[in-house]
Amino acid sequence: MARYVAGRLAQIVVILFMIVTILFVLFRLAPGDPVSRMVDPSLSPEEAANLIAQLGLDKPIGQQYLQYLQNFVKGNFGHSFHYGLPVGQVIMAKLPNTILLFTTAMVLSALAGIAWGKVAAWKKGLGTDTALTVAALVTHTLFLPWLALLVIWIFGYKLDWLPINGMISAEVWLDPMSGPVDKALDVAYHMVLPLATLFIMHFGSYLLVMRSSMLQTLREDYIITARAKGLTEREIRNHHAAPNAWLPVITSVGLSLAFSINGGALTETVFSWPGIGRELVMAVSQNDYPLAQASFLLIAMVVLFANLVVDLLYAFFDPRIRY
Amino acid sequence: MTALLGVMLLALSPPAAQAVEWDQNILKIGVLEEPKSLNLWLAGDAWSNHVLQLFYQQLYVNRPGDLKKVPWLATGDPQYDPQTLSYTVDLRPARWSDGSPFTAHDVVFTGQLIQKFKVPRFYSLWSFVKSIEAVGDHQVRFVLNRPDASFTARTLATPLVQKTQWEPIVKQCLATKKPLASLLRVSLDHPASSGPFVLKSWRRGVFLHLERNPHFFGQGLSLDGRPLGPHIEGIVFKVYGTSDAAILALRKGSIDFYWNNVQPGYLRDIAGDPAIQVFRNQKSALYFMGFNLRRPPFDDLALRRAVAMLVDKRFIVTRVLQNAGEVMSALVPAGNAFYHLDQVAPYDQELTRGQRVQKAYEILTEAGYTWKTRPMDHAGRVQTCSCLLRPDGSEVPPLTILTPPADYDPQRAMSGMMIQEWLGQVGIMAAARPMAFGAMLEKVKGHHDYDAFVLGYGNLSLDPAWVSAFFVSKNAGKSGWNMSGYHDPQFDALAEKAAKTLDPEQRRDLVLQMQRMVQRDVPFLPLYNPLLVEAARNDRFQGWVPMVGGIGNLWSLCQLRPSGAPAAEVR
Repeated sequence: MARYVAGRLAQIVVILFMIVTILFVLFRLAPGDPVSRMVDPSLSPEEAANLIAQLGLDKPIGQQYLQYLQNFVKGNFGHSFHYGLPVGQVIMAKLPNTILLFTTAMVLSALAGIAWGKVAAWKKGLGTDTALTVAALVTHTLFLPWLALLVIWIFGYKLDWLPINGMISAEVWLDPMSGPVDKALDVAYHMVLPLATLFIMHFGSYLLVMRSSMLQTLREDYIITARAKGLTEREIRNHHAAPNAWLPVITSVGLSLAFSINGGALTETVFSWPGIGRELVMAVSQNDYPLAQASFLLIAMVVLFANLVVDLLYAFFDPRIRY
Repeated sequence: MTALLGVMLLALSPPAAQAVEWDQNILKIGVLEEPKSLNLWLAGDAWSNHVLQLFYQQLYVNRPGDLKKVPWLATGDPQYDPQTLSYTVDLRPARWSDGSPFTAHDVVFTGQLIQKFKVPRFYSLWSFVKSIEAVGDHQVRFVLNRPDASFTARTLATPLVQKTQWEPIVKQCLATKKPLASLLRVSLDHPASSGPFVLKSWRRGVFLHLERNPHFFGQGLSLDGRPLGPHIEGIVFKVYGTSDAAILALRKGSIDFYWNNVQPGYLRDIAGDPAIQVFRNQKSALYFMGFNLRRPPFDDLALRRAVAMLVDKRFIVTRVLQNAGEVMSALVPAGNAFYHLDQVAPYDQELTRGQRVQKAYEILTEAGYTWKTRPMDHAGRVQTCSCLLRPDGSEVPPLTILTPPADYDPQRAMSGMMIQEWLGQVGIMAAARPMAFGAMLEKVKGHHDYDAFVLGYGNLSLDPAWVSAFFVSKNAGKSGWNMSGYHDPQFDALAEKAAKTLDPEQRRDLVLQMQRMVQRDVPFLPLYNPLLVEAARNDRFQGWVPMVGGIGNLWSLCQLRPSGAPAAEVR
């Protein structure tokens, strides 16, 4: 096991190096000039050149790359051109918001998807199965911004039950009378619509994976054996079939959780959720190389490590798998 | 799942604190982006400027109406001494938000900082200032290297920073290898403010809370006949991801003003709401088609004039902009009345489509262009023509019109497509090509690799120095602002003279002459100036001040008062 983990870690280091290089090259190849937004018509080309030099963008590309690698090894990702702040500070200001929303949504969607997928497979061909499968297919193929705007319009504007955007309301957080409970409730209140939207969008994929995996498991000999032993249907479903059907779902959940750190630019934009997804899109569109590179690198690292964790979990859930 | 439903149901009841009306005298403004920084030297975008203009004040500001400069932190007009090429400016007694006095040393410090660091956006306004000295605490003397018209119009409108706050920062930056980069990376949590408001708190990505600056010099003062406040306790800027959300928030009453242009699609929804007032103001903007004069086919004046004749700007304004704009015939927009050339170019007369094709056909024929099948038949009717042939008989090759993508600016993208169709009527095979804004700028400004483009400047300086910058020969190099590659010694001479002419009337004449030359030579074809449509609720606050650039301005925020509140005493 230790040898396997060491090997995978070495692989991760190599892949990370490749990703770092690809990111560096891609952003330099992308059209656009990072300083074009900082100058005005009265600035001479010489003054613009001075600014470029100050930002270190005048050096040969090879030299910039070596400098970048050196900084990367030291954990220094530079300063955002846009905000003027250290990249780590920009990311850390937004990352917790993204994790709160998207991880909660992924966990809830996975729990519901697994539970309902199990039921759908168990009642294959019956009305419950048809209803759940159709619901999963329909919701999974919805266009997220459309759904988001629809729920905002109905619940946020027409019915006026929920806030239409944001993570917190200034009215509560600036009110000197508000205590921690009010503030916590305010966050929960703001989470309802984006969480519901993400839940609707994502539970279907888990449901379908779980259903398919469960159907395969139900054909296994040990299920027939369990029935022959006289176990109740509930025991067979929950203790014999379901645990063996989890493996593909674990992969799916693991990767979804990893990808959830990049948030969803669309979701965050429509709900004005102050997360990393919007920041990433803005960094790319404004040629903010340091911020964009560091954000993508963070996503890549989390995905790579999540893959490793999922592989290790396989061994935990399925004793037949040994590394 | 049960727990989840429980949390959701619990959350469905609004937090009790919302009922408390602590915010009844707080103006709530919706914005699409928060300031990128409170560091004035880094943040120059419109969203940052919404907030920073309330902290960092200027010696002179433009007043609503005629847009003339009036003293703000200064008192009286600057006194010019032609013998010594110097200006003397007297300062009014004012204080920073920490209670310390605003003095001439702050002005000197700001100017010297810009010169020392060559700060982008500001340096060109200070590069010709030889020396700045404080004459006592309330007078500043500027000595120039040469007379420059932009000094009073723009240099004296530079936002000023507090010396005591910035001096230690500057020392640290100067000690680094890259002083300018260090300056741009300064993170300022609480900038000293000489303006009407001061920052109280900022939750990144969500809101900024500004409160009234108790030391603001304008409190209770009447400037230019306008009683200043602020009469409100504070401002909360709320960040919305989309215009949809911001408009819904405005209708719901969550914000009092949406500080952005309201697209025509939303107007129908808000027009029926008596609590919402819609304001239409001119912008200091220029949306135009540019030609590459460095290479064929648009190195030919006749072809550019024919294209100008084919472009129906009225159609673009009525159909694409849905009447939320005005046709532009000259470079400086009509809102900037003093420098606006009130002369309609020949190609901007009201003509039918057929007449436009006829006139373009005549221009091209006179210049020696031919067709195998002409665009007009013998009866003078428009007909499908063959490809346009140059005077040497070769075909005018297919050309591209670069535009920003539709998701960035649908109006410019659509205008490009319309122009493409119109050019086809005289056999010019043009294709509108939307491309990412950064990539487009690089092609046009960096590599000069294009035929034509549609671009726009949404917030041009009221001082028309940019008219020169866009067309003088010295700016035609790589990354220079003369994107078209226009070259005319007469224009260059006019531009040089205009820069040195201090008399406003004389300078105006020169600027008008330059605009006439652009109308004649068509390196740019001005297309339209969109109106700035803004929406504000009138049930909580009143007193918005309309001016070029919209109601979101310093004057408005100094004059707004709660609806029904009596006028304040004026001293």
